[in-house]
Amino acid sequence: MGPTVTHTGPAHAPPPPTARAEPPPVRGHGAHRPAEGRRSGSRRENLAGYLFMSPWIAGFLLLTAGPMAASLYFAFTDYNLFDAPEWVGLKNFSDMFADPRWQKSVEVTLKYVVIGTPLKLAAALGVALLLAQSRRGQAFYRAAFYAPSLIGASVSIAVVWRAIFTDDAVVDRTQQLFGMNAGGWVGDPDMILYALVALTVWQFGAPMVIFLAGLKQVPRELYEAAEMDGAGPWRRFWNITLPMISPVLFFNVLLETIHSFQIFGSAYILGGQGNPCGPADATLVYTCYLYQQGFENSRMGFASAMAWMLLIAVGLVTAVLFWSQKRWVHYEENAR
Amino acid sequence: MRTSRHVERRTFLKAAGASLATVGLTAAGCGSGSGSNGGGPVTIRYAWWGADDRAKKINQTIALFEKKHPKIKVKTDFQPYVDFWKKFNTQAAGGNPPDVIQNAVTFLRKYEARNVLLDLNPQVQAGNLSTDNFRAGLEKFAEIDGNLLGLPVGSNSMGYIIDEKVYDKAGVTPQFGWTWDEWYAGLEKIKSKTGVPGDAGPHSIMYYYDLKLRQQGKAFFTENGLGFAESDLEAEWTEAMKRIRSGIYTDPKKAEQIKPKAATAGALSAGEFTWDNFTVRYAAEGKSSYGIAPIPTTDGKKTGQYLGSLMLSGTARTKHPKEVATFINFMVHDPEVGRIMGYDRGVLSTTGQFEAFEPTDKVSKQISAYETKIAETGVLEPITPHPAGADVIESAFLRLATEMSLSKASPGEAVDKFFTEAKTAFTANA
Repeated sequence: MGPTVTHTGPAHAPPPPTARAEPPPVRGHGAHRPAEGRRSGSRRENLAGYLFMSPWIAGFLLLTAGPMAASLYFAFTDYNLFDAPEWVGLKNFSDMFADPRWQKSVEVTLKYVVIGTPLKLAAALGVALLLAQSRRGQAFYRAAFYAPSLIGASVSIAVVWRAIFTDDAVVDRTQQLFGMNAGGWVGDPDMILYALVALTVWQFGAPMVIFLAGLKQVPRELYEAAEMDGAGPWRRFWNITLPMISPVLFFNVLLETIHSFQIFGSAYILGGQGNPCGPADATLVYTCYLYQQGFENSRMGFASAMAWMLLIAVGLVTAVLFWSQKRWVHYEENAR
Repeated sequence: MRTSRHVERRTFLKAAGASLATVGLTAAGCGSGSGSNGGGPVTIRYAWWGADDRAKKINQTIALFEKKHPKIKVKTDFQPYVDFWKKFNTQAAGGNPPDVIQNAVTFLRKYEARNVLLDLNPQVQAGNLSTDNFRAGLEKFAEIDGNLLGLPVGSNSMGYIIDEKVYDKAGVTPQFGWTWDEWYAGLEKIKSKTGVPGDAGPHSIMYYYDLKLRQQGKAFFTENGLGFAESDLEAEWTEAMKRIRSGIYTDPKKAEQIKPKAATAGALSAGEFTWDNFTVRYAAEGKSSYGIAPIPTTDGKKTGQYLGSLMLSGTARTKHPKEVATFINFMVHDPEVGRIMGYDRGVLSTTGQFEAFEPTDKVSKQISAYETKIAETGVLEPITPHPAGADVIESAFLRLATEMSLSKASPGEAVDKFFTEAKTAFTANA
């Protein structure tokens, strides 16, 4: 600031003294001096902080906030990637609701979320209950059950999964042993979604670990007291374990539900080459259709509108879950 | 106080340095392009679709090119067909497409409408590119509204790939000019004698239906729309469903699961309609021996066939049109390139390359013989470039025919959906 002031000095002679005259009353209080020093120091510190953060801030603005704002704009335009976007108001949204394939994608996604999420959480909780008991080789079992979650989201596993559920492969042959001649799940529009659900359920590692942590928090004495009163294992689970871990359960339900809505990679690959999103649109999950419309059909406006619709829907589901937690999530009052 | 200030300053400088370094790195990452650096070597980018075997051959031809043109460097990139176009769309929209791409007739109007492709005519006039010595019917092939949008590297045509062993066993011999009824009678005979479904089910192949329509004086596409009525397609698809149910066409569930392998290569059918140059694939994938049979006809003569193929196109935003033309010229005319590529992208398109490559394997000989034969019988018609949106419509055709064949939609429903989606695709690309 200083140099600028001296620069203008010759032209406007009076200002510098006045500018300098103002501070003294403040400086007059001796106590303020160190405070001021600290202030400029903390400003420096802040600046350093922001500078350290700047790569992240730049990344956030350029890679997240910017594209989001652009996509919000595109959602109201007709945009084919090549010509300039043309404002069409709510047309993308009305087209969307009238589009049978969009409806189909909503149906497939809801089915996947409603079937897959509870099954996955049940599997996670079941295994967590088993692993919560101390026994030999505990660490090994935990690692072993967690392993699928590390690789499950990968492309290669989806490819392997397709091979497992294909015609005359492991699953089909096992079925044949029991006299069922299904002929492979991945070519069957009625079955392929269940192969996808199975792949998801198999990746129960993350919620399992969280459940395990929750189970460790349940005070032993509650079980002991219940046992004294003659409560069986089922009763203990239902009346002690479940209420005590309900905050953890809530967290897992929330996370897994949101996660399920966003499924893409495995659904896309399971459908097979030249037939993404499954035969007869059987695994046409929401994001798969979004991707097709955007990148195959070059309807970026429509795809953006779909993305915002998904955001709204997931937001609503999250709100409902939060609202519902009053009824079933038990937080201990005197937890402190 | 002094020391702490000092430290602060150092922290400050470090932070600033770190951020600048990051920004610098990002900038460096973005900046690596094909800036012309006067006099030094020029780099052009070349992208195509295909698999490893094609990549190996293309890399050999590029090494040859770079040796003869040391001032031009070529950077390559390839993906499978569908992914290739997604990537290209994104790059082109971002103003950063490769300088040279492999291209096909389906995409010409689409990208011409969006000014993505380079008009090669000025380069021809400047003498950087020669349009001479192309085999008959191939010279004008990528010209739209007076703009030369690409040069063919090879020609192909639809054919009927058959499992020769199954055909021999059943005693069925396809003849040039055979009719659809004779073809179908053959399929029935094959099914009853060998138990193998006669055909993989042609109902989802747009190019098969195009040929059938052409034989009736129509076509799949007009210049700006569909060239047939809903009732035409409904009749075709209703008949197809009957044939699936009777087992003459392959069980669609099985055909779905064997993908990306072709049904005939997987012994699920005795034959199927596809491009003649794909015979190479069948020989590599399947265990039997495969041949190319002629396309059945309606009147005993007309097959509706034309020569199509892959071509090389430049992109309009290239900073090096001259080098692009030099590269395309080399790839299309150099005899050595022809010897390396063989019939990988169809029968070689220029006489120089065609004569330089002497097919030695059975499959290449078959393809060459087939194209010579269809040229001699005079069934070839001129090709009509597809309207913008054709690529989207082709995938909708495939998807909806499959949906119907898997009994998830009646023929009527599938046809309705197809026409609705086609309309959307034409509007989106208008």
